[in-house]
Amino acid sequence: MRRRDFVKAIVAVPVAARTMFGQQSAAPQSAATAALPPAAETAPTATHDKGFFDYKAHPIAASVPDGFATTQANFFNERQMATLRKLCDVLLPPLNGYPGATQAGAPEFIDFLIGASPADRQHMYRAGLDRLNANAEKQFHVPFARVDAAQADKLIRPWLRTWMPDHPPKERFASFINLAHQDIRTATMNSQAWSIAATATGERAPGIGLYWSPIDPDIQMYV
Amino acid sequence: MAEEKVDVLIIGSGHSGGMAAKVLTEKGISCLMLNAGPVVDFKRDRELKPAYELPYRGFNMPGRLPHVFQANEFNANTWVDEKEVPYTYTPQQSYNWVRVRLFGGRSLFWARQSFRLSDYEFKAKDHDGFGENWPITLADLAPYYSRVEAIFRVRGHADGLPQYPDGNFVVDDSPWSGSMQRFIAAGKKMNVPVCKARSAMGVDGLASSINLLLPDAFATGKLTAVPNVVVRQLTVDKNTGLADGALFVDRHSRREMSVKARVVVLAAGCLESTRLLLNSGLENSKGAGLANSSGVLGHYLIDQVYGPGIVCSVPEARDGKATPGLMGGSALIPRFRNITTKSKNFIRGYALNVYSSTRPMDPRNFADYGESLQKKMDSYEGSGFSINMMGEVLAHYDHSVSIDKKVVDAWDIPVLHVDTKYTDNEFNMARDAVDTSIAMTEEAGFEVLSKNYDPNPPGYSIHEQGTCRMGDNPKTSVLNKWNQSHDIKNLYVVDASSFVSGGWQNPTMTILALSMRASEHLAEQMQLRNI
Repeated sequence: MRRRDFVKAIVAVPVAARTMFGQQSAAPQSAATAALPPAAETAPTATHDKGFFDYKAHPIAASVPDGFATTQANFFNERQMATLRKLCDVLLPPLNGYPGATQAGAPEFIDFLIGASPADRQHMYRAGLDRLNANAEKQFHVPFARVDAAQADKLIRPWLRTWMPDHPPKERFASFINLAHQDIRTATMNSQAWSIAATATGERAPGIGLYWSPIDPDIQMYV
Repeated sequence: MAEEKVDVLIIGSGHSGGMAAKVLTEKGISCLMLNAGPVVDFKRDRELKPAYELPYRGFNMPGRLPHVFQANEFNANTWVDEKEVPYTYTPQQSYNWVRVRLFGGRSLFWARQSFRLSDYEFKAKDHDGFGENWPITLADLAPYYSRVEAIFRVRGHADGLPQYPDGNFVVDDSPWSGSMQRFIAAGKKMNVPVCKARSAMGVDGLASSINLLLPDAFATGKLTAVPNVVVRQLTVDKNTGLADGALFVDRHSRREMSVKARVVVLAAGCLESTRLLLNSGLENSKGAGLANSSGVLGHYLIDQVYGPGIVCSVPEARDGKATPGLMGGSALIPRFRNITTKSKNFIRGYALNVYSSTRPMDPRNFADYGESLQKKMDSYEGSGFSINMMGEVLAHYDHSVSIDKKVVDAWDIPVLHVDTKYTDNEFNMARDAVDTSIAMTEEAGFEVLSKNYDPNPPGYSIHEQGTCRMGDNPKTSVLNKWNQSHDIKNLYVVDASSFVSGGWQNPTMTILALSMRASEHLAEQMQLRNI
């Protein structure tokens, strides 16, 4: 059976069932009542889904906004955001034809991500950016956003550690530096800009995975 | 509609429930299977996507699944959301309860490491005096292991080690890579055996209940399976004291329903099965749970220590200079502590998973950034060699679960409270595992890049076991050696809650073998009309 015929067969079932049920009715319908169309019969398919059984979907070339829009940063204050932008520039600059963190929109994305995060993560970031800036002011008398490469290295390198997944460094500031580094790299390498660069260089884009949609989600979650 | 009594009610559809359904239906016994979650449509529910198309660019949705370290934005929808099914734990003793309620349960996602327990686990007390022995030996379970290994197509190599029992393998005679040969030689100097890993190949890319067990059950025409129903509690006939069914609720509509059964087989997963028994007894005189005359239901919670490990580099493989066959492959170091020698500060032992990689290195292995980091990653690519620990956790009475009556899930079912932690034995074992790994890799000439001594929180391994343990003595155990309740003879619990001790081994093969053995015993008892 072709799919179209199969669908018609399914649609026909409720009507047939109602007819059979009607034949069992003890009270015969009057001629006037019987002449009227059954009220419920047209209701389910008469409006928004009319025609969908026969519609063969055409592909829609959907896009994402990152290619043409900028994320509005509104969580960190101005000084923290400037520190974060500089940290992104230092930790992951453009290399070998790939965008740097700034070009990939990582600072703004991280502002959004941390703004949506639990309080302890927000505090770690705010305190970490504040301390990084304070260290720059103390050592070099300029905000971190204005340190040169050598100064930035002196502020960051002492806090870098090797570590394994789920076990970042235990010292608070080292934990911030290393987790922020990881976040900046992930936000950058999972960006559309990075994917485009990978395609242009003939490499397989990272960050492609098997995504699981919500599977028959609990309807009570939405009422 | 009048309730029709089913022969066997199976609660849960994972490896243990699937095996029970296969065995019982193939013996002509009708089964009704209830599962709390939906059926996966593998075509509709999954698709390849780039991370930038996801709402959080591949980061986990902030605050979602805080105790599922395995979760990411790609797979987040497969795990149980703890906002929907909460649990509580003792402050400062975080517990990672990692759950899947899809039809097939966690059998859809397991790592497929396939091991038998040895008599160093079954008779652990005989070796070191701690805890309890199982009421069975390896010899009792070996025939069932063999049949399970055939179904799951376990690939492995016979090594002849008593602590790493051989099985019914698809023989793995693949050659070792050069880096592994060097590591094996280092192990020989230190009396540490390095063996081939053992893994279930499954069929068509899957080694799950839904493709290896349930199709056989459905083929008999004897299995009725219902997804999206959450079992609230078991019911008991007040006259006979026997289990006679269950109360359950429709996951979507919250319609409350009941079903009657001659026999109940619990296979909801270790802690969910225990939760169900505890909730089923809330209204009895003691409030101590169903089938709990021993008072040990909920106690002796165990899992396995995961997290400690190291990452190394094989110097000869750097800068693209790896010769063919130098890198690649995996190995397993089975438990070697406290077999013929005695460790000074811990009992039992651990195993080590070993991997030689041809892939890029994780940047976390370098304390560097920017262009300098990239140069190191380019140089070290394809030279990675890593080791991770799987350690035994001791079974203590006070490591337990109970019902937290103050908190309910989305279906108004009281939730579980978990009270457990690791002790010095686990921490000392973890330190030994990392130090031994470092010593072996340095002996092999590898450079250690990073290391971690700290275990992940209890539960992380997704190998929770115990809380409904088996034993010969009804005063100290919930189940007998057939996974049958001491108190209620028509109640069987066939998941890992029956474990007495857990060893270092992935428990899946043991769960399957025990479920097969218990189900055959049940079928026999039903045929004899003893149940």
